[in-house]
Parts: sequence; C-alpha cells; structure tokens
Amino acid sequence: MRRALRLVFRRAHIADAVDDELAFHLDMRTQRLIACGMAPDAARREALRQFGDVESVRRECVTFDEERERTMRRRNYTEELRQDLHYAARTLYRNLGFSFVVVLTLALGIGANTAIFTLIDAVLLRQLEVPNAEQLVAIGNPARVTSMSQGGVRLDLLSYPLYQEVRQHVPMFQGVLASGRADRVDLSVAGRATEHPRARYVSGNYFHLLGVPAAVGRVFADDEDRAVGASPVAVISYPYWTRRFANDRAVVGTKILINDVPMTIIGVAREGYAGEIVGVSNDVWLPITMQPVLNPHEKYVDDWTTSWILALGRLRPGATLAQAHAGVETIVRQAILDHVSAFRFSPPANVLAAARNDTVWVSSGARGFSRVRSTFQAPLVILMAGVALLLLIVCANVANLLLARSIARGREIGVRLALGAGRARLVRQLLTESLVLALAGAAGGLLVAGWGSRLLVRLAADGGTIPLDLRLDLPVLAFTLVLSLAAVAIFGLAPALRASRVDLATTMRANTRAVGGSLGSAGGRRLSPAKLLITAQVALSVVLLTGAALLVRSLRSLEGHPTGLDRDHLLIVELDIGSRGYPDVRRNALMQDLAERFGRIPDVAGVSYSENGIFSGTESESGIAVEGFTPRSAADSSAAYDQVGPHYAAAIGARLLQGRDLEATDNDHTGYVALVNESLARYYYPGGNAVGQWFRSDTTRVQIVGVIGDVTDHTLRAAPVRRYYMPFLHPLGAPTIAHFEIRTAGDPARIGPEVRRVVTAVDAQLPIDGIDPLTSLMRASVREERLLARLATGFGLGALLLAAIGLYGVMTYAVTRRTGEIGLRVALGAQRPGVIGLVVGDALRVVLLGFVVGLPVALGTLRLLGSQLHGIGATDPISIVAALSVLIVSALVAVLLPALRASRVSPIVALREE
Amino acid sequence: MLDPDGGVVRGTLDVLILKALSWGPRHGYAVAEWIARATDRELLVEEGPLYTALHRLEKKGWLTGEWGLSDNNRRAKFYVLSPSGRRQLRAEMTSWERYARAVSRALAITTAATA
Repeated sequence: MRRALRLVFRRAHIADAVDDELAFHLDMRTQRLIACGMAPDAARREALRQFGDVESVRRECVTFDEERERTMRRRNYTEELRQDLHYAARTLYRNLGFSFVVVLTLALGIGANTAIFTLIDAVLLRQLEVPNAEQLVAIGNPARVTSMSQGGVRLDLLSYPLYQEVRQHVPMFQGVLASGRADRVDLSVAGRATEHPRARYVSGNYFHLLGVPAAVGRVFADDEDRAVGASPVAVISYPYWTRRFANDRAVVGTKILINDVPMTIIGVAREGYAGEIVGVSNDVWLPITMQPVLNPHEKYVDDWTTSWILALGRLRPGATLAQAHAGVETIVRQAILDHVSAFRFSPPANVLAAARNDTVWVSSGARGFSRVRSTFQAPLVILMAGVALLLLIVCANVANLLLARSIARGREIGVRLALGAGRARLVRQLLTESLVLALAGAAGGLLVAGWGSRLLVRLAADGGTIPLDLRLDLPVLAFTLVLSLAAVAIFGLAPALRASRVDLATTMRANTRAVGGSLGSAGGRRLSPAKLLITAQVALSVVLLTGAALLVRSLRSLEGHPTGLDRDHLLIVELDIGSRGYPDVRRNALMQDLAERFGRIPDVAGVSYSENGIFSGTESESGIAVEGFTPRSAADSSAAYDQVGPHYAAAIGARLLQGRDLEATDNDHTGYVALVNESLARYYYPGGNAVGQWFRSDTTRVQIVGVIGDVTDHTLRAAPVRRYYMPFLHPLGAPTIAHFEIRTAGDPARIGPEVRRVVTAVDAQLPIDGIDPLTSLMRASVREERLLARLATGFGLGALLLAAIGLYGVMTYAVTRRTGEIGLRVALGAQRPGVIGLVVGDALRVVLLGFVVGLPVALGTLRLLGSQLHGIGATDPISIVAALSVLIVSALVAVLLPALRASRVSPIVALREE
Repeated sequence: MLDPDGGVVRGTLDVLILKALSWGPRHGYAVAEWIARATDRELLVEEGPLYTALHRLEKKGWLTGEWGLSDNNRRAKFYVLSPSGRRQLRAEMTSWERYARAVSRALAITTAATA
C-alpha cells in the first residue's frame, strides 16, 4: 500500500520535472520571438510549432526518466547489499571465534534437520523414477514386499490366479504388473561359485508398463510369462551388472544356472533403476512363470492358496485412484467367492467371511513398495519434530550470542546512528550479518547432513544395509535454504530490532546494563531478553529430554519384558530344508539326525525344532473350531499356531502347566495331538480342563495333550496371543523351513561354529539361513525403538548442552555486569555462600520457570509418541522427574563457575572499577 | 523528427548534443540554440526531439541533469557531460570523420573504374 503510494508520488514528481523543463524552453523561445518583433500570441504559436508534438515528447521523456530511476534504485540496492555483505564479512572475520561458534552450532542444527529430511525425502516422499509414476496404483499391502502366506485367504497379498483376475478384469488400468518374492536363488555363471543375488519374479509386462528400457540387450517381452517354463531368461539390474560383470556388454546372451536350471541373461535394465521397492536394490528379475521350474518343490503359480504377489496397476488417462480401488475390490471379492473350493485347507465359511470382510489393499503406487517406509514412518516424523526443536534451541543460543554482542556493539551502533545511518538501513545491515552466518551454517549443515544421513541409515540398518538413495536433491536443498532463512528470522530479527532502538544518549555514555538483568531482587522483576531466551531453551529442552526419557524407558520395558522362555541360552538355527526336496520320510530322518547330533555338542542342554522359530519374522495362523464353544466373533475362529518337534516346551524353557510335552512318537502320524498355550486354554476352557479336549485345526480333529505357559516368541510389542502347537511332521503338509532351538548352559553364541559343522556333515548342500542367539534376534526386532531412543537421547543431550552453555554465558555476563553490586554486598558483610546462593538462585529461577512453561508443552506434544511407547504412558512420572533432575544438575554445573567468580569478588577491586 | 527527408543518421543529433555540452553545462534551450547556429538551421527541423534525445542520453549515463538558475534567473534543468559522455563524444567524432571522408572520397570520383 505504502509502496504503491510512493510509486504514484514518484511518477508525479518525474512528470512535473519534465513539464517544468519543457515549459522553460517554450517560454524562452516565445520571449525570443517577441524580442524579434512578433506579437505575444503569434510568438507562442510559433514556439509550439517549432517544438513539434509536445505531448509525445513529454511522454517519451517521462518514460526515459522512469527507466533511469529504476536502474538507479536497483544499482543503489545492490551497492548497499554489497557494502552490507562486505561489512558483515569484515565484522564476522574480526570476531573469528564468535563467528566460528555460531556457524558451527548452526551447521550442526541445520545439518541434523537436513539429515533427517534427506531420509524423509528418500523413504517417504520421493516418487519412483519412472515416467508418470503418479499413474501407478499399488495393490496389496505395500509393506509386505517379501511376505508369503499359504493355506488361507489373504487380501493383503495376491495369489497368481487372483492377480490374473485383477489384470484381466479391472477396466481402470492400462495394465497391471506382478512382482513376487523369490526366496533365495542360487546363481552360477560358467561353473563359478554359486552366489545369491536378490531376485524377484515379475510379470512379462513389468518393464514395459513401468517404462523402464534396457541399457543393454532387451527387457522382457509382454508375453514372456505366457506359459510355465516358456522363457528361461533373466534381466539383471545396472548395479549388479557393474558389480558382477564389470559392465561387460557381452553379458547379453550369457548362459547361467539359476537353482541348477539353465537360463540366459537377455539384458540389463537402465541405469538408476533398481526395482520398485524403496530400500531394496534388486539384482535379477525372472519371468513369474519360471517360478514352478526354478522352485520345483514349491509351485506357487497355479495355486489360489499361496499369496505372494504385490501388483502395480497403471491407471488409464482420466481414471482415478478411487475408481481403481472400487474396481479392484469388486473383482477381488468376486474372484474369491467364485473359487471357494480352491481353498482346500479352509472351511468354506471362513473363505466366504474373508472374501466379504477382509480389507482389500489399494493405494497410490507412485512411491513404490517399501517395508522400511511403514517401519520408519512414525520414527522419522518423531525425529523430525525432535530435531526441529533442537534447531529452535540452536537459534535461541545464537540469538543470545548476537544479543550480547549487539549490546557490546551498542557504542558502535550509536556512533553510526549519530553519523546519520538510517535505522532501517541498520536493521538491514545487522540482518545481513545474520544471513551470512545462516548461509555459512547452511553450507556446513549440508556437509553435516551428507555424513549424518548415512550414519543414520547405518544405525537404522543395525549391522545390515538399507540401500537408500540419499541424494541432496532439490527438495532437500530447498528445505535447507528455507530452514536457514527461518533461522535468520528467529535469531537475527530480535537483536537487529533491539539494536536499532539503541538510544543515542545512553549509549554514548558507554554503559548499558541490559543483558544479565537482575541478580537477587535488586534489579526488578522483569526478565531480560537474554533470560527469556534461556527460559525458552529450557522449556524446549524439557520437551526433548522428557521425550528421550520416555523412549528409553519404553525400550527398557520392551527388552526387559518377561518372555516365558530361556532367552539368554537359546541358539536359533534356520535351515531351508524345502530347497533340497526331502520327501516326508527322509525329512523326518533328517530332523531326528540333526537334533541328535546337535544334542551331542558339549554344553547343549536341550534341542527341538519348529517351523516358525522364535523371533524369526515368520508367523502362522490357522482356523480353529473348539468343540463345545460357540464363536462370538470372527477372531474366535482363528489362532496362531506352529509345528514343533519333540520336547519343544522343555527345549525352549517354557513352563509345562498341565499334561505332557510333545514326544517323538507324536511325529509318527498315528494320532492328532496338540499343545496349547495358557491364553488359549483360558479362553476356550475357562474351567481349566483343557487337557483331553478336542478341537478342529482347519479341517483336522486334534486332541490337547498339554498346556504350556505363554511365550513371547514373535514380537515384544504385543502381548502373547492364543497359540497351539502341532507335531512338526503334521500330515497336512510338512514345513519347508525349519528352525532348530538349541538350549545351552553357557553362552549360546559359542557353539555356532560347531552347529555349522554338524549341518555340513549331515548334508553339505543344505542352506543355512541363519545361526543367531535368541537375544540378538530379539534386539533386532526392536531396532526401530532402539534407534529412536538413541537419537532422541542424542538430541536431548544436545539440547541440554546448548541450554547449559547459554545459561553459563548469560550468568557469566550478569556476574561481570554486577561486579560492583556484588562488591558492595560483600563490603556490607555478605558471606561467600550467600553470594553463591544469589547467583545459583537466580539461575535456578530461570530453569524452573522454563520447566514450568515446558512441562505442559511436553505433556501435550509427547502424547503423539503414544503408539511408539510400550509399557509406560506418555505422562510417565519417572521420565518427567528424570528430565527435571538432569536439567537441574546441568544448570548447577553451568552456573558453578560464574557463582564461584562472584564469590571471589573483592569489594575494593569492584568498587574501584565502578 | 530530425530531417524528415532522411539521409542523416539518427546518431547525428546525439553527437551534436554531446558536442554542445563539451564546453560546459547548458540547459535544453541553449543546446537547441547552439545546434541551430552551428548548423545554420540545416539539421534541426523541430526542437521537441532534442528533449527526447537529452533524456535518452541521460538514461545512458552520458549526461547528468541538474536543476539550476538560468541567466534570466529562472529555474532550468542544466545538462552536464559525464566522463563516459566525453569518451563517447571522442569516439563518435573519430568514426564520423572517417565515415564522412570515405563518403566524400567516393562521391568525388568522376570515372567509373572497373579494375
């Protein structure tokens, strides 16, 4: 508004000047003509005639003048900016120590934010780098990238026949591709050693539909999946081509063996494409119809009961996600209803219920699939909030430093004002200084971020790797820039405005007393700006520290949770027995043989085995119908289950509450028996008479022979669920994966090498998928919580350190300012403890005020942690007390030096200085 | 504008203005008078375009304008040649002389030489 007025005004000013100039000319000419003897009227007319078109000349002149003025203003502005920058650089250089500290803290603050944001960008925000990624629609739960489910109906993953239905019958899609896990593949090139690249089975249209061309050779043709076994070909990824084949173009046409089947590499996908799964870099793509050929013991392709596929549809132009969702939902439900009999292991009623009620997963596929996304979404958002708070604290600290300096520079500013510097110009000058600091901080921050985000991923991967693309791309750079400008606004504005209000008369007297504020009651009740900033810092620290305390206590509570088994003495050995295709009888012999040999290893106290293992990441659920019990809800008709070997309960250290453990004879297919856990026994048999009762597991009738105590065997985050255990060699299907549970007297990790030797001795080809102490599997299962707790603690301590430094600075300054007053008090008989008490009391008041302000904020915001907390509430008093104690102790440490200095003030020296 | 019949390059007026100011500050009317006298009123047909040219040259930075008092004690805008204007004048004079010499030489030839 004001700007517009000024423009109008300026334009009028220019036009007036031109008018004056032209009028002068015409007057002069007229007078000259009159002097030559013309009549005044005629002279005027003649002057105008000689001049020509006055109006158009006037217009042109005004235009030129306006343009000139604009250029000049711009030049002035850039000139001033150059001066300001030069001046800022000189001032900052002259105070190198100060500048270094400010830039360093800003770099850390901004860098931490950028690091977290880089991860958020890579994991949560970035789209797949394929043409028109926004058209993609994910079908299935995008987090279940390596899942497989057999036996029942699942709608969060697709079976191959179900995928075919969606592909053929949902009209909103141009095409639908399938991508399914490929377990472990054995790949060997030209007789060299076998390796295990990451592989996925994909539909023939995979590359064409995504729009991913070949870098070398060709990608799959659309009909590559036309029939089982039709196309023994593979496409490899660019990184794998580089890593394994040194970018040799002759790789096209190379014969390889995959799981001992001859295949041919036909091409390399374009550079930069490593699959549709964020956080997993795929090496080899195989046509989905090769699955039954490459895994002859586990044929998934024609099976409705094996759900293992995630699908991506590409929307037709004009179709919406909502329409696609409705379309997929209709087709999926109808397809299952049309094929109820295909689910031969499930009672038809269960199939119908699932087909009608289970969730059909359809969501945007623009960002691909990802397990890390769902795992790390909440932690990342929490970390972002935490690190933003940290930056606020950093800003407060920098503001305090600048404030202190602007007071120290009060004289200089006063002089400049006296010499006629405009206040607006002065504010701009000081803001330029802040801007230079912030940009230097941002540059440092980018360095910190590049390093920090990699460190974060390493921490998050917990010993493994998560291949994330951590580029500092445009969104990240923009984020950093915005962040540093916001920081300038926060920390630069207050000191600049304050400085511009400097009162000429008082500053020239060279004595300002503003920073420290009161010591004791003398100076009055008002908080100085510096103390206000410290209060804010303390308040923010309370939020961070309490949050950290909550997360740490939650992690403790998770890890210390009673598990009902001998957690410290179990070794879990995962064997892929299915890949060797042992027939049932030989499999039984194999398991017995292995169990006996493991049992002979010194230090071993017990051995058993199970399908799912303990904390292995696989879990089974089955339909259950208890005789004499009427289900009240769908949940009553299913329970977790496992298939276990003889003496399972004894081997894992579970308590046998009633009846007996499973025996070797139970594996003989003679009787159908089961162990149940306490939860299941209590739920279905409240009378406590579970042993001897019968129930149906899917379609099989089994009798309960024993009840064992609840075991926390798959997740620490939830209470144990109802579970039953059937013999390992159950007639309905022998497991293809076996986990041996080996209990030792001492450290279970020590027998690892011996276990490996035993397995090799029994069958040198038997793949060992893992040998891990249970404790490390359990630790890995809470790695997100641990990461969060660790980082939150780091942020909390960082906040604490900054607040303590700020407090130290302000109190030191206050003591220096008040040397005279303290000297006077000492002269009047104040004792050393009294003086120390004065300073400490002053500091503690600030800390307590900050706590009082921060606590409600903490209680309000930390409720958002809710779902991340286990075993404690968001208002856990112990965490709050811990945060307060840490704060007070740090505050005491921070004021120790200033207080001691105050107590040593000699009245004579102090009064002389005054 | 300048010589509506054409024939004289547009820059002529610019160089004349620069020349008029080479002896010191003048206001627009004085510049017009000097050009009229110096060219026997051959070139400047209308006076208006002179002002457009003055403001254009001011924008280019060759002149600076200052308000002052004229001989008859009236407020008038005086133009001063800036250092860059002086350099421009020297450059234009050299190129004008070379150009004029070349053209006159060409026009002075009486036989059509074909060698």
